[in-house]
Amino acid sequence: MNNRMRELREAQGWSQGELAERLEVSRQTVNALETGKYDPSLPLAFRIARLFGEPIESLFIPED
Amino acid sequence: MTMRRFMWIFVAIALGALALAAAGRFLLAWPDGVVGMWTGIGAGYLLGAGLFLLMPRWWRQHCDDMYAQPAGRRYIRALWPALVLYSLTLFASIWSIRQGIESLPLRGLVAVLPVLPIAWMMHAALRYLREIDELQRRIETEAIGIASLLVALVYFAGGMLEKAEVIGMDAGIAMIWVFPLLCGIYGIAKMILTRRYQ
Repeated sequence: MNNRMRELREAQGWSQGELAERLEVSRQTVNALETGKYDPSLPLAFRIARLFGEPIESLFIPED
Repeated sequence: MTMRRFMWIFVAIALGALALAAAGRFLLAWPDGVVGMWTGIGAGYLLGAGLFLLMPRWWRQHCDDMYAQPAGRRYIRALWPALVLYSLTLFASIWSIRQGIESLPLRGLVAVLPVLPIAWMMHAALRYLREIDELQRRIETEAIGIASLLVALVYFAGGMLEKAEVIGMDAGIAMIWVFPLLCGIYGIAKMILTRRYQ
């Protein structure tokens, strides 16, 4: 699944470490999410969407 | 606690053990067996320190990141006393049994003493597993699953070979090696899985 996490994180001026702290996950997880190597669970996807103030559907784009 | 710091702790323990062995050999006239034991401990810890140097940089960085997190720090804090206690109980158990313990129940109790700190370590590992995030937990459980399946396969094959009298194996040694093999294969599997997500 593609996502706009890196774009939104950089717009906030946060490092991966800072985003990881805000989401209470590891930096490894943030990196895996941004590179599309890992799709988050629903609770984590909602936390990410709430943090960036965006709806989930605009954040995560399924590959068709 | 960084990997580099772990390595230097191992080197310090190794040098301490080797110094004890040297003092025992040249100053204190210790028996050869005792000198050999401390030399072995020193060599073992030096080998362990050497393994840290062989770790790829990305893996060392990953471990440093993991152990800097609250769950990782709690895990290390629980691990250290358990490891020290394991070393002490192992030494005391082996030494006591070699001195000879007549009573069978007491000998059994002394033999399984080292199991208690291992149980403590497993409890710390289980708590760590529950506290880490979802991707880390996926990696850990997949690595444990791979290790379990591979070790089960190896022991099954070993058992068949033993029954066919192709190999001969001391049952006690075979049982003792289950846990170290699980840990070793788990570690390799975890490295491969972690790399997959980077």
